[in-house]
Amino acid sequence: MTKTKLLIIDDEVEFASTLSQRLKLRSIDATDVHSGREGLDILEEIKPGIVILDLKMPDISGIDVLTAIKSFDPTIEVIMLTGHGSAGSGIEAMEKGAFDYIMKPVDLKELLDKIKTATDKRNHTQG
Amino acid sequence: MVMDPQIENSIRQEQIESLGRLIAGFSHDMKNHLGVIRESSGLMGDLLSMGGIDTNEVQQNRLQKSIATIEKRVVTAAEMLHHLSGLAHRSDAPLSSFQLNDLIVEESIFLKRFANMGQIDFTLKLQEGLPFIYNDPSLLQHVIYRLYRGCLDTIEAGGRLQISTISCDDSITMTFQAEGSAKSESVESISQSTLSAIKKLHGDFSSTMSANGLETFQLKITSVEERK
Repeated sequence: MTKTKLLIIDDEVEFASTLSQRLKLRSIDATDVHSGREGLDILEEIKPGIVILDLKMPDISGIDVLTAIKSFDPTIEVIMLTGHGSAGSGIEAMEKGAFDYIMKPVDLKELLDKIKTATDKRNHTQG
Repeated sequence: MVMDPQIENSIRQEQIESLGRLIAGFSHDMKNHLGVIRESSGLMGDLLSMGGIDTNEVQQNRLQKSIATIEKRVVTAAEMLHHLSGLAHRSDAPLSSFQLNDLIVEESIFLKRFANMGQIDFTLKLQEGLPFIYNDPSLLQHVIYRLYRGCLDTIEAGGRLQISTISCDDSITMTFQAEGSAKSESVESISQSTLSAIKKLHGDFSSTMSANGLETFQLKITSVEERK
């Protein structure tokens, strides 16, 4: 898999940090932050290619963070994390520019597939 | 205190909606907990398989087995929560357009438990590609539960209960079919309030009894686009 700069934004600290460690073990350059505000603040510094973003966070909603990320850099691919019972919220996020969504608790293999597809798309777009 | 039936009705509606939202919130939180459990056990598995933890082969196998059990149970629990969340969200709106089969599948995850307790084999036989129905999904969940229990409670251990759906013209018929031996003790029949709920759903209900005393219930719901 191409070395990918990836940012995880999720207020569930243990979830985000453990997922980040597991991705690092698979040679993915992952950073985790634990609020929407922190996520937006760190964009300039780390310039991620992929963002894994929780849909429901206490400070800023995932949809608002998604909109801000896309206006910062439209080429960043965002994969939404959702704990909803239906696919509706994930689909709504995709209509607002998310690359894809994944249900919690995350199936790592499924997530890795989505990261790879998002990376390929981004590499293709950037030539 | 005698209350205006309309006010009483709207209190009941709000009560169901609140309960639905509470359950949906609960299942959302539980998914977060499961997410942490899954990632933590996954990390242990990663470290074991990548040689990050120094153990002998016997311990390694034991730990991998425990991690596999955690993973399996997390997947099952997540699936149940997914259906619980779907079930709870059904009360978000008093009337909506939905697929009857989806509603049955998400409720049957929980109905199955009652069949297991009574040693009854519970199956679904749902016709694919049913038209959408516009109705009160939360009330229909309630009616399905009542008819299911009404049917289940008549069957002796070792019997079978099947819920099937079939569409015909502009309606869908849901059948609760019991097979096996009937229990000897008398069982309470479908209550008047359940029949009133069916009426509110604009449904047609019928009940037939087989020679061995087992009942089959049929509920016919019109699959109209939108009731004005």
